[in-house]
Amino acid sequence: MTANGGPRPLLEVDEVSVRFGALMALTKVSLDIARGEIVAIIGPNGAGKTTLINVISGFYRPYEGHILFDGKDRTHLRPPDVAALGVARTFQNVALFKGMSVLDNIMTGRLLKMHGSFLLDALWWGPARRQELANREVVERLIDFLEIQAIRKTQAGKLPYGLQKRVELARALAAEPALLLLDEPMAGMNVEEKEDMCRFILDVNSEFGTTIALIEHDMGVVMDISHRVAVLDYGRKIADGTPDEVRKAQAVIDAYLGVAHE
Amino acid sequence: MNSVFQMVVLGPLKDIGSNPAFFGEVVIGGILAGMLYSLVALGFVLIFKASGVFNFAQGVMVLFAALTLVGLIERGAAVWVALAITAVVMILLAFGIERIVLRPLVNQPQIILFMATIGLNFFLEGFGEMVWGANVKKLDVGIPDKSFMAAGMQINQLELSAGAIAAALVIVLAVFFQKTRIGRALRAVADDHEAALSIGIPLKTIWVVVWSVAGLVAIVAGIMWGAKSGVQFSLSLIALKALPVLILGGFESVPGAIVGGLIIGVGEKIGEVYWGPLVGGAIENWFAYVLALAFLLIRPQGLFGEKIIERV
Amino acid sequence: MIYREAGQFKTTYASDQAIFPIRQDRIIAAAAILAAFVVPTAFANDYWLQAVLIPLLIYALAALGLNLLTGYAGQLSLGTGGFMAVGAYSAFKLSTAFPWLSIVAVFLLSGVMAALVGVVFGIPSLRIKGFYLAVATLAAQFFLIWLFNKVAWFTNYASSGTITAPTREVLGVTVSGPTAAPGTRYVVALAFVALFALIAKNLVRGRVGRSWMAIRDRDIAAEIIGVRPLRTKLLAFAISSFYCGVAGAEFVFLYLGSAETLAFDINLSFLVLFMVIIGGLGSVLGSFLGAAFIVLVPIFLTNMPHAVGLNLPVAIQKQIELMVFGGLIIFFLIVEPHGLARLWQITKEKLRLWPFPH
Repeated sequence: MTANGGPRPLLEVDEVSVRFGALMALTKVSLDIARGEIVAIIGPNGAGKTTLINVISGFYRPYEGHILFDGKDRTHLRPPDVAALGVARTFQNVALFKGMSVLDNIMTGRLLKMHGSFLLDALWWGPARRQELANREVVERLIDFLEIQAIRKTQAGKLPYGLQKRVELARALAAEPALLLLDEPMAGMNVEEKEDMCRFILDVNSEFGTTIALIEHDMGVVMDISHRVAVLDYGRKIADGTPDEVRKAQAVIDAYLGVAHE
Repeated sequence: MNSVFQMVVLGPLKDIGSNPAFFGEVVIGGILAGMLYSLVALGFVLIFKASGVFNFAQGVMVLFAALTLVGLIERGAAVWVALAITAVVMILLAFGIERIVLRPLVNQPQIILFMATIGLNFFLEGFGEMVWGANVKKLDVGIPDKSFMAAGMQINQLELSAGAIAAALVIVLAVFFQKTRIGRALRAVADDHEAALSIGIPLKTIWVVVWSVAGLVAIVAGIMWGAKSGVQFSLSLIALKALPVLILGGFESVPGAIVGGLIIGVGEKIGEVYWGPLVGGAIENWFAYVLALAFLLIRPQGLFGEKIIERV
Repeated sequence: MIYREAGQFKTTYASDQAIFPIRQDRIIAAAAILAAFVVPTAFANDYWLQAVLIPLLIYALAALGLNLLTGYAGQLSLGTGGFMAVGAYSAFKLSTAFPWLSIVAVFLLSGVMAALVGVVFGIPSLRIKGFYLAVATLAAQFFLIWLFNKVAWFTNYASSGTITAPTREVLGVTVSGPTAAPGTRYVVALAFVALFALIAKNLVRGRVGRSWMAIRDRDIAAEIIGVRPLRTKLLAFAISSFYCGVAGAEFVFLYLGSAETLAFDINLSFLVLFMVIIGGLGSVLGSFLGAAFIVLVPIFLTNMPHAVGLNLPVAIQKQIELMVFGGLIIFFLIVEPHGLARLWQITKEKLRLWPFPH
């Protein structure tokens, strides 16, 4: 139970520090994300935003502090286990599988939902075949949702950057995650593409109820779509509140001095 | 269980203790053999460090250099003339390799370049055999392959000289890479061909320089190995032996090639002498690899390699 | 193109994901497989069967195995010869110790033995990547060959150090041993490789193949999606070694008749790797094309000088072979690093449009 008596947050980051050798990338950062929220994580470059996402998704181990997912401590889980809990993410530098088609890329997102006997896989028979086709249906619905039907057989490495980002989003969504972590999903996009992406993110949140944490530099986007904003600077959290509150906080203005953006 | 422990650990320790002079000999022999491995490994490291290519054909280049040298001497050339001509040949070879193999494959993934060097390996093997014939040749460099006694141990003169030369080469090359402008440019090229090109580093020149230097190192290695065991085609298999050395030392470290060579050389000798009889001998074939593998499991980037930090 | 591919719409996902989505392709494939079974057996002479077709099929099986590991799962392996040796020696021991065991069962069990060994030597792959892993597989190669050389039990204490395939029958027809007819051996090899190719294709177009390719393309991202690297890599090692083991058993039983460890040394590992690279990494078809290439080129090189009236001493011919071989590899890597399979695809694309330029 939280202080105001509401339901337990989906994700609780509690005084987490991450360090690389002598460099403290994160210092005692605490962040709670409630179910169904869209939380934006902002801050100047090098503030530790991606590090925070990485430690949540299990890629880095925290030096101190705890991370609780749905009330259970999962501080020391490795990435595959974190993924199994229902956390999916996209990457700053688009980590698509360049040798595979768009369809196959998104299908890999379903891997955690696919179980089965290797023997039946080998024969393409019975349950293996049915599972494959059922998953294909789910993926196709996602492809419709994100409007990428035309490129489904294209090799991912050949797509323009904006479309790659969309495919990556599809792959993350394919896992039907409870928590979606997006690392700069709008980077490198023009105004129209950003609008489309915003629409998708909002739809995902309202239709599927997915909780979303996103790192973003475009302040307009941040103010428009997020319920809450957390601000990082030099590895510490310096503000946390609604977009309006954060916009007016002095610490935030100081941190961004000279980098005014909207 | 007890007897296994006795056999594997206590037995050899007892042997070592009862005849320390012999153990010293084995170690020194291992060090010197290791130096010879290092010489070949140096060639690999040079090329990898400066062009990012894992040159499988290094062993064959050693062989080719030795063959050319011996072939010229057999045909009556004076030793110095033969050396000079061989050096020129290796430099021409470097030009050829750059033009025909490296330039068309700029920025292909490493495995493609590696495969290309295997193709090169086969090509040079056939070519060398065709030009110089397949017989074993003796190479005389004026240093007797005899041993002398020091501190109660037998030390081979030839191996000692090889060790000294290898050590000298390493020092020179290490300084070259760290301190000079060209050395820095070479490291840039190894990191990213296209980026280096875009800064204006003359890729082609660099490659020719590097492969030439590797070729000259190959000449030295060829001379040492050839004097020791004759110039024959098994020399190209030395390349395979250099691999565990590279694993231990890291692919990009000049001092690593030396330390790795020492460890493998000594380890192999000790293994063969003290453990070999337990399993019927000839464990030299794989002992170096298993040793390297064991190291890798503890430190995947080798002793001197750079820790690979994966950015997500 | 000879037949129109356009206009064939798929209405179910099942038909879209079939191995041959186009109807004419299916007919051609079926006809080709049928022809493969019937034509050579009826018409080819012994030389073609023995020197070309049988080794081609066996190498194709080994190349298929290596392609799964290196082409799809991205784990570079130089230990193919060693794993084939495990298969060969296992087959020898099994068939001599249990003469009543069907040769088919012997082959399959040898594959399993090779798979187990493959898993053991694949364990380092979690910590070690790329070239370093290749060297670890070299350790496997050298160690295994040494083992089979040293331990006489493997050759049933034969003084010659060779293993010889015993005479065995399937359904009354002699399949292995000195009296087996080339035609029979060809059919058996074909049956095995066709079945295993089908299995491989099923694996790579489904869940298993995707997790392999994910590891190959970007293993960090794969982990974050939920792929478990060790399990996935070990599965690749297991299956790949299984294929290589069966191929090794066939190598002795269906092709060479008898062999010693020299037949499985590092050169074999490189040979199979060339087949995979030239044929195309990550392609089932490529494994076959690569094997065909590697088998046919030396034959071509050996016979061509005679055909044009040049008579060269054997030694020079061997040297020229080496040179041409090496040169061809470099040539291929420059012209089409994705191998013959990609060239085939490009040809089909061009044929589709022909005679229009684009």
